[in-house]
Amino acid sequence: MQTSRVSEWLDRHMGRLFLMPAVVLILVFSIFPLVASLIIAFARIRLTGGGFSVRFVGLRNFEKQFFGSEQFHLLGTFTDISVIGLLFGLLATLGLIWWMVLYVRAHFSVVGFLGRMITFLMALGLAWLFSATLLSGNLFGTLGTTLFYVFVGCGIQFLIGTALAYACSFQFRGTTSFRVIFFVPMMITPIGVGYIFRMMADTTKGPFSGVWQWVGLGEFAWASDPWAARIFIVVADSWQWIPFVFIMLLAAFESVPRDFTEAAELDGANAWQKFTEITWPHVLPVAATVMLIRVIEAFKIVDLPNIMTSGGPGIATESVSLQSYFAWRSLDLGQASAIAYVLLFVTVIICVSFFNLVVLARVRKAS
Amino acid sequence: MKNKDKGTAKSISIRSMNKFFQAVHVLKDLSLEVQAGEFLVLLGPSGCGKSTALRLIAGLESISSGELFIGETNVTNVLPKYRDIAMVFQSYALYPHKTVAENIGFPLKMAKTPKADIDTAVLAAAQQVELGDYLERFPGQLSGGQRQRVALARAIIRRPSVFLMDEPLSNLDAKLRGNMRAELKYMQSKLGVTMIYVTHDQIEAMTLAHRVAVLKDGTLQQLGTPKEVYSNPANLFVAGFMGSPPMNFISGAIDNESFTTKGVKLPLPGAPKSNQVTLGFRPEDCRIVKAGSGAMDAEVYTAELTGDQVLVTLQLHGSQIVSRMPKEFEIGDTQIAGIEVDARHLYLFDSESGLRITADSTR
Amino acid sequence: MTKPAARRSLFEPPDIGQMATATKIVLYTVLLAWSAFVLFPIYWLIITSFKTIAAVNQGPYFLPWIDFEPSLHAWKELFVNDYRDTFRAYFNSIVISLSATALAILVGSMAAYALSRVKFAPNLITILYFVGLLALTGVAVGIYDVDWRVAAATAIALFFFLARAIGRLYQLRLQNGDILFWIISQRILAPIVVVVPIYMMFQSVRLLDTHLAIILTYTVINLPVVVWLMYDFFNSIPRDLEESAQLDGATMIGIFREIILPLSRAGLAATTLLVVILCWNEYLLALFLSTNKAQTMPILVAAMNAGERGILWWTMSAVIMIMIIPVVIMAILLQKYIAKGILVGAVKG
Repeated sequence: MQTSRVSEWLDRHMGRLFLMPAVVLILVFSIFPLVASLIIAFARIRLTGGGFSVRFVGLRNFEKQFFGSEQFHLLGTFTDISVIGLLFGLLATLGLIWWMVLYVRAHFSVVGFLGRMITFLMALGLAWLFSATLLSGNLFGTLGTTLFYVFVGCGIQFLIGTALAYACSFQFRGTTSFRVIFFVPMMITPIGVGYIFRMMADTTKGPFSGVWQWVGLGEFAWASDPWAARIFIVVADSWQWIPFVFIMLLAAFESVPRDFTEAAELDGANAWQKFTEITWPHVLPVAATVMLIRVIEAFKIVDLPNIMTSGGPGIATESVSLQSYFAWRSLDLGQASAIAYVLLFVTVIICVSFFNLVVLARVRKAS
Repeated sequence: MKNKDKGTAKSISIRSMNKFFQAVHVLKDLSLEVQAGEFLVLLGPSGCGKSTALRLIAGLESISSGELFIGETNVTNVLPKYRDIAMVFQSYALYPHKTVAENIGFPLKMAKTPKADIDTAVLAAAQQVELGDYLERFPGQLSGGQRQRVALARAIIRRPSVFLMDEPLSNLDAKLRGNMRAELKYMQSKLGVTMIYVTHDQIEAMTLAHRVAVLKDGTLQQLGTPKEVYSNPANLFVAGFMGSPPMNFISGAIDNESFTTKGVKLPLPGAPKSNQVTLGFRPEDCRIVKAGSGAMDAEVYTAELTGDQVLVTLQLHGSQIVSRMPKEFEIGDTQIAGIEVDARHLYLFDSESGLRITADSTR
Repeated sequence: MTKPAARRSLFEPPDIGQMATATKIVLYTVLLAWSAFVLFPIYWLIITSFKTIAAVNQGPYFLPWIDFEPSLHAWKELFVNDYRDTFRAYFNSIVISLSATALAILVGSMAAYALSRVKFAPNLITILYFVGLLALTGVAVGIYDVDWRVAAATAIALFFFLARAIGRLYQLRLQNGDILFWIISQRILAPIVVVVPIYMMFQSVRLLDTHLAIILTYTVINLPVVVWLMYDFFNSIPRDLEESAQLDGATMIGIFREIILPLSRAGLAATTLLVVILCWNEYLLALFLSTNKAQTMPILVAAMNAGERGILWWTMSAVIMIMIIPVVIMAILLQKYIAKGILVGAVKG
């Protein structure tokens, strides 16, 4: 009787016991460090032999990043704002206000309004950052570089990945081999991708050196030109991650019931109409989810810039993660945590906004 | 030897059982006493709570209030595995990655029975359902009827005291269903187990059950032998649910001990005066006659020959009346026909509450 | 066969169910061009690993035996001269990736299964109280130098003392969906945010530069992926099977082992491959947590950058190749499951 009572108790609580290890692991290795990291961000920490000493400095770490001596590093340099920058900033502000007005007019709820307000402020801040640095001919910092990797990189990956997936979703000879080939880059370690693309880009000994000589760029060192370096990192990143978008969207395209497209064909739709009217709406929820995953991962980019350019020339290709890593390497833990928290803040707001306004909006509409 | 086949059947006692899903009251105060070795059918349309009742008995859902006894034991809060119950699901719930033998032997394996004992038991159970040759196959390679037998064998191998079945025949085609029905009935009586069987098919209920419990919207409507439920329905719902084609209903009023509605006047000696009543009679208790010579006249709608009989549908004040006539009957091009009803088989219901009104003439 | 052969233009399909010739030409051109873009860098990697130093330095040579004479000197250097470093890093990478994957799959799929089948209703206020205590303990230990045993004991006592009362006062219950979202959302965390405290944590228990530290960290980093993919997969398994097993006397562990896991082979294979790749390639965390003994392959490869002779492209290519090979082999072995596994996750998610 005793044993059966124990086993019955186990049966009743097994669900919790199943969930518990995951929760405990996440609490210990994710939530606790997250809290600790915030504490460190408000402190100056000195590593001493075997231990460390802590001194609280309040918002000093963040102040240094946003307004102090490290401003150029994280945000960029600010001198006079140019006319184009001003124009763009004003236009973006007006557009964003208009978006808020539209929302408030259509349907208003406190939670929805507050959520959109956060999105609004973040977008406003990023828009003015963009106009004050890049559009005004100033340098931009690691935050701008990271956003460049995220938006330009993910945009390219999305377009090419989707196009390739759609092309491969048709039945014709050779599709299977194309699928296998297109999947390959995903299996190559990012460090490897970095080195491979360094070889590719070598203007004197790389495979395309002939081409470079011919167009007169034989002596051009791409790693010393900020934009060339950034673009090369995006190309390498895309080479690696287009397969991910490709394979997910291919699955989605193949799950579109043939009845739908066939019915549309009988109703007289041409190829383009079939795609926009039937296939794409069906695939859109998956596409939105896939892009959300991609954007989340893209914010973490660190290995490619570190391998390909070590963040150079200057800080031109440094991502926020890399900046934080460099700060850690110079044993400035407070700065490292503060920078990481800025990244976390931006990532969470952008990803949650994307999730709420794009992914969930589709789900809500569908149900 | 014969006795070894018989499990120790147990009675089931359901006492004011209720079930809520959030705010939805799906089972309302159900009380039932099922005798040991009885074949009880829970009958009702989809959404009536019959499957929920079964899942509560099995322990797959928690009981919101009330008590449940199996034998002498209160099992209200006992986990399903300790209830000694076997259940056959509508989908059969066969494990697709296990062979027929592994499927059948699964309950014994879970009880940590020695391997050799499992093998002999599996063979015996498989032979009982005539599956001896299929032991190494996978469920995906079997036909619907064979899968049904595997599920059955898996249920009987444990010799449980109670058997639950959730629409086990609804995935089979009509012919196979007839065969399996007979087999189920034979097996239940041979094993002598208590069986609770859920179905929406009143023919299954009629043919299989010792007693039928008719449910609607989570409430028990009537409990009785198939014959009682068919020939003595407690209310409008039961009357309309049992029988195929169902009972005919005409609404009207009782005045001066006779049923009246537009163009109809039917004497019903002893019936109490009432404004809103429904008169019911079964298709086999009425005949088509010449217009004017029956109890009422109605417009002929269709006549369908089903083989052994002709079903004539007529329209009276917007409602349809079906009469079952012998197969020789020909309706011709008659537009209006009379309906003669058997006065001994008339049923009278209160239109509002649906309850049966008894009068001398309607038993 | 007897159908009259209609003459159609390039832009019309030659027969029903076929593509127009023009479409076909465009399609094949695009796909072949992309194949070249994908394959050429890999081809270059392979031939570079067989080039002599001179063949690399004297400009681009494309074809082995024609342009240049292949040589094994890079491979020799890797497996003969530097074999200690190579094998240790390789061994570390294999041990860490496989253990972390196994652990993440086990813990993650158990959690995913519980979330897909059992109803949970934890009280939000109690959780916040717990997290608050955790933070306070962290501050007390880390900053005010309270003995960690004292702090932990106080926190645990306080929690059990007040949790019920507080939980009863405020009833704000979470649902399974919230827990699921919480777990999956951990993936948004960039590793850089948590790595400094994790580094300090392992330093204080003297586990830096050990397999265990990296394995545990990788397990947690990949839990969200496993939970997300396996949750969808488990949800697609009909409940009947488990209910039937329940009545037949199976416990939750029995059901999980006997029914759920075997039925999820496809999902497990796809998830395993994905997690192995993520662990195998992980760079930043390994950079923090391993200095020498526990160094993994990505760190070894990255460190080759810093040699005095500049980058040894030939050796580098060989190292990258041995990093790619196991992943490719795994992908081929699990190939038949992957398409199925990814499909469920992608299309349902």
